[in-house]
Amino acid sequence: MRVFVVDNGGQWTHREWRVLKYLQVETKIVPNTTPFDQLGQVDALVLSGGAPDVASEAGRMGNNGEYIDKADFPILGICAGMHFMANHFGGSTGPAIRAEFSKTRLYVDEADGLFAGLPKEFDVWESHNDEVKNVPERFEVLAHSNTCKVEAMRSIKRPLYALQFHPEVENTDFGMDIFRNFLKQVEEWQK
Amino acid sequence: MMFDPKAFVEEKVEELRKKITGKAIIACSGGVDSTVAAVLVDRAIGERLLTVYVDTGLMRKGETESVRAMFIRLGVHFNVVDASDEFFGALKGVTDPEAKRKIIGERFIRVFEREAKTFGADSLVQGTIAPDWIESGDGVRDTIKSHHNVGGLPKDMKLKLVEPLWDLYKDEVRLVARYLGIEVAERQPFPGPALAIRIIGEVTPEAASIVRDACVIVEEELEEASSKGLMVRPWQYFAVLLPVQSVGVQGDRRAYGRTIAIRSVDSTDAMTASFSRIPYDVLERISLRISNEMKANVNRVVYDVTHKPPATIEWE
Repeated sequence: MRVFVVDNGGQWTHREWRVLKYLQVETKIVPNTTPFDQLGQVDALVLSGGAPDVASEAGRMGNNGEYIDKADFPILGICAGMHFMANHFGGSTGPAIRAEFSKTRLYVDEADGLFAGLPKEFDVWESHNDEVKNVPERFEVLAHSNTCKVEAMRSIKRPLYALQFHPEVENTDFGMDIFRNFLKQVEEWQK
Repeated sequence: MMFDPKAFVEEKVEELRKKITGKAIIACSGGVDSTVAAVLVDRAIGERLLTVYVDTGLMRKGETESVRAMFIRLGVHFNVVDASDEFFGALKGVTDPEAKRKIIGERFIRVFEREAKTFGADSLVQGTIAPDWIESGDGVRDTIKSHHNVGGLPKDMKLKLVEPLWDLYKDEVRLVARYLGIEVAERQPFPGPALAIRIIGEVTPEAASIVRDACVIVEEELEEASSKGLMVRPWQYFAVLLPVQSVGVQGDRRAYGRTIAIRSVDSTDAMTASFSRIPYDVLERISLRISNEMKANVNRVVYDVTHKPPATIEWE
């Protein structure tokens, strides 16, 4: 399986690459300016987080839109990757009422898919100033926290997933399991 | 097996052998990263490598002597350079953290250029690991802090860089260090700019001496508490000298002294970290020792309870 990490300039982009490598997936980090056609044969993408304010600095998010439009395979957007996805499908993002940095309690609302086999609530690590204000149509919320309504969402039409928190960092409980679950979704999509 | 140190060593030694055709020097602080890099390159090119340790005047107590002794035990070809006057001179009057880091980065390179010239080397090996280049920033990533070995490099540098640990994090470097039997495998991380970034404000020999003494106390007490089983030894633990003075009373006399912050965190890879749950009795011992033994300079001790993010591990 080949899952590439699209680099939106996150502090933890390379951690996403490391987790995928540890899960024995063929992976590499690609700049977000790479044209879709030059990605080559790939089974899924992870859109990393990054410093851009997605609503006002869409240019810094490079070809994320092209990837979402042209791919039929699964995509996982993390943090800024999630914000981009929300805006791209007609939802909205903006400055969070309460920023979340480091430890945050996550409450799972939809326990299948990304959160299959995981506890109903656990601690995750965050680092975000913005948040999803309105979830796009045909997306559903999968998890929330006390200070952020949309911690995870997915499309009900396509294999598109998005997380506000960071499953790739060591301090997030079950982070590796969330990646494993995403890879399972990729496997199922391939069938 | 998630990371295979044996395969990594074999692959890197082979790669280094091909890459370094002439002579090289390695910038080695005696910490885990640069010592692992030194041993890898030593295996690849042997006598064509010179290990260079720079005493910046900002090292911890006894550090230069213990690193020298380790180099002798390792059997590497090394040189210890005393450049403390050069570093303090360049840092005079500088208070901005990024300016400090860049000045230090440049000073290191100037020393390495001189050493390389004498030795006839055209390559500079560094123990750069992933957090160093990630946090230094690039075209797409914000600069969180310019690590001296990446973001602090002067633009006119001509030495060819060789950085075999580029994609690794500290936990992986430690696996390699253990596999290679390197004695400093478990040593706590210590930043290249050394005590300069544990002094908030101007770096003077006097400030360095104060924070050095406070670091010794923090290290001794936490290491003793860990060896007694009162706590697990933290990932990284040290003192920071703050430019904040406060009023105190010492033996019926008014005092107006400086502040030391204790910083201690737990981490795996330095990309996220949580403050250590130090038992109160241990914090009390540290506080008592610092405020009594260092009464001439310090009359207040605080404990930093911030995770990374939003803080970073070091204060600058």
